[in-house]
Amino acid sequence: MAETSSTVSTSVRDLPNAWLVAGLAWLVPGSGHLLLGMTRKAGILCGVLLLMMIIGLAFGGRLFPFQMSEPLVFLAAIAEWAQLGPRLVAEMAGWGRGQVVAVTYEYGNTFLIVAGLLNVLVALDAFDRARGRRQA
Amino acid sequence: MTTHLGVMILFAACVSAVFAVLLRDRPRDEMRLGARIFLSLVFGAYGLGWIMFAAFG
Repeated sequence: MAETSSTVSTSVRDLPNAWLVAGLAWLVPGSGHLLLGMTRKAGILCGVLLLMMIIGLAFGGRLFPFQMSEPLVFLAAIAEWAQLGPRLVAEMAGWGRGQVVAVTYEYGNTFLIVAGLLNVLVALDAFDRARGRRQA
Repeated sequence: MTTHLGVMILFAACVSAVFAVLLRDRPRDEMRLGARIFLSLVFGAYGLGWIMFAAFG
C-alpha cells in the first residue's frame, strides 16, 4: 500500500503545475494535453476546436461583446472567451462582426459558442490529469 | 453543406470527436465511442424532428 502511494505521489510530482496546464489549455486549445505529453489527443482537440471556430466565423457568426444589458449576449461572450488565443486573434483580425442577414448566422454563433464551452471541458480534463486524478 | 442536415452532421462530428478523445484513452475505444455519440446525435435529432413534425407540423 505504501509502495502504491509513493508511486502515485511521485508520478503526480513529475507532472507540470496543474494551474499552468489549465491556463495554457485556456489560451490555446489542446496545449494543456501537449504539456502532459499527450500529443495525439492535443492534436485532435486543437484541430477540432480551431476548425469549429473557423467554421463559426466563416458562417458569419458574431464574436459577442460583454453586454450586461443583454444577459444571453453576456453568456455567449463568456463562452466565446473560453478560447482565449483564437478569440483574441479573431478580434485583432477584425473577424466575427456577425452577418445578421446571412442564412448561416445562427449556425455560426452555435459553432463559436460550443467551441468555447468544449474548450472549458478540455481545460478541466487537462487540469484533472495534471493533478493526477486521471491517468496522464 | 449549408443545409440544416449538413451543418448538423458537421456539428455532430466535431462534438463527438472532442467527447470521444476526452472520455477514452485508447484510439480504438475513442473511435467506438465517437461513432456512438455521432450516430446518437444525428439520428436523435432526425427522430426528434420527425416527432415534432408529427405533433405540430
